[in-house]
Amino acid sequence: MTCPMEGEGTREVLVAYGGGRALNGNDTQLLEAHLETCPRCREFVRGQRAVWDALDGWEAEPVSADFDRRLFARIEQEVPWWQRIRGRLGVLLIHRALPVTAVAALVVAGVLLDRPSLLKRRVPPETDQVEGLQPDQVVHALDEMEVLNQFNRSMKPDAAQPQM
Amino acid sequence: MARLPQPPVTEWVNTGMGGATAALDYDAELMLRVKDGDGASFGLLLEKHRSAVVHFLYRMVQHHAVAEELAQEVFLRVFRSRGTYEPTAKFTTWLFRIATHLALNALRDGRNERSEERLDARSEDMPARQVEDRRPSVEQEMVRRAALDEVKRAVAALPDKQRAAVLMHKYREMEYSQIAKVLNCSESAVKSLLFRAYETLRARLAHMA
Repeated sequence: MTCPMEGEGTREVLVAYGGGRALNGNDTQLLEAHLETCPRCREFVRGQRAVWDALDGWEAEPVSADFDRRLFARIEQEVPWWQRIRGRLGVLLIHRALPVTAVAALVVAGVLLDRPSLLKRRVPPETDQVEGLQPDQVVHALDEMEVLNQFNRSMKPDAAQPQM
Repeated sequence: MARLPQPPVTEWVNTGMGGATAALDYDAELMLRVKDGDGASFGLLLEKHRSAVVHFLYRMVQHHAVAEELAQEVFLRVFRSRGTYEPTAKFTTWLFRIATHLALNALRDGRNERSEERLDARSEDMPARQVEDRRPSVEQEMVRRAALDEVKRAVAALPDKQRAAVLMHKYREMEYSQIAKVLNCSESAVKSLLFRAYETLRARLAHMA
């Protein structure tokens, strides 16, 4: 076996072996045979094992118990109000109400197409009355109002004068 | 949030990997469910990777509170990105890319300024605790603490990228190819980073054997 320290691409074999990782095929046997004759590689592996053991002794602290609660609170703040509502109503609004609305719209459209008369605008009766007035009727009404005014003036002369 | 029915995995593999034949990992499946509005799947991803992300960040910045804050940001970014998520790589690659990016930024911004203080403070704290412990002796505990502090200082002294590479290689047992994707560099660059990093660590820690 060529010395792994001699090549850039082969030194990781020593790193892996020193870290107790499995090597490919019979690389382990070949490397172990090489280590017996190569003090440089032996020293490398010894040092790598020491590093590995030292790193093994470094345990991370456990995650805080309220980590998830804090995260979900932040997520809740970030989610827009309409998405929160959608999340709560979720299935009902998006996955059930929409198809029902679509079917209802289709039914209404079908009825309207079948009976176009329903689409005709119904004219309010007041409009009929205004349009039905003739000019002579208007003149007659004004004459009657003038008669009433004259009657008022004769009955209450003071009331007829504008009060300042 | 509502759990929605999902198409078979094989469909995703054909449409989501740009022609790649590799099977979609389970995490990516969960993330696709999150994309479809399934909040429970986000909870599963959080449960599965929370500790790994927090511990990685803790070893990067060596400050527990900062590490948790950064981890919160990591998962927030995952959640924010759900709408545009595409499983073009392993989920953990994407996750650790976000984590590494945030950690490197934090180190650059000096957010872990108190880490050295903390190391010192913990060393001073320990003797008071040891007395009532089951540990063999005060001396042994002090030696253990001193050794741990030495390891932390040795790792903290590594250049940021070397540190990230070592932590992913040692504690996450990531392949060189995956570390390369996380760090956005070539596989040979990762091998070189790791070799130099371990060389430095050997020089500082070999006497601990």
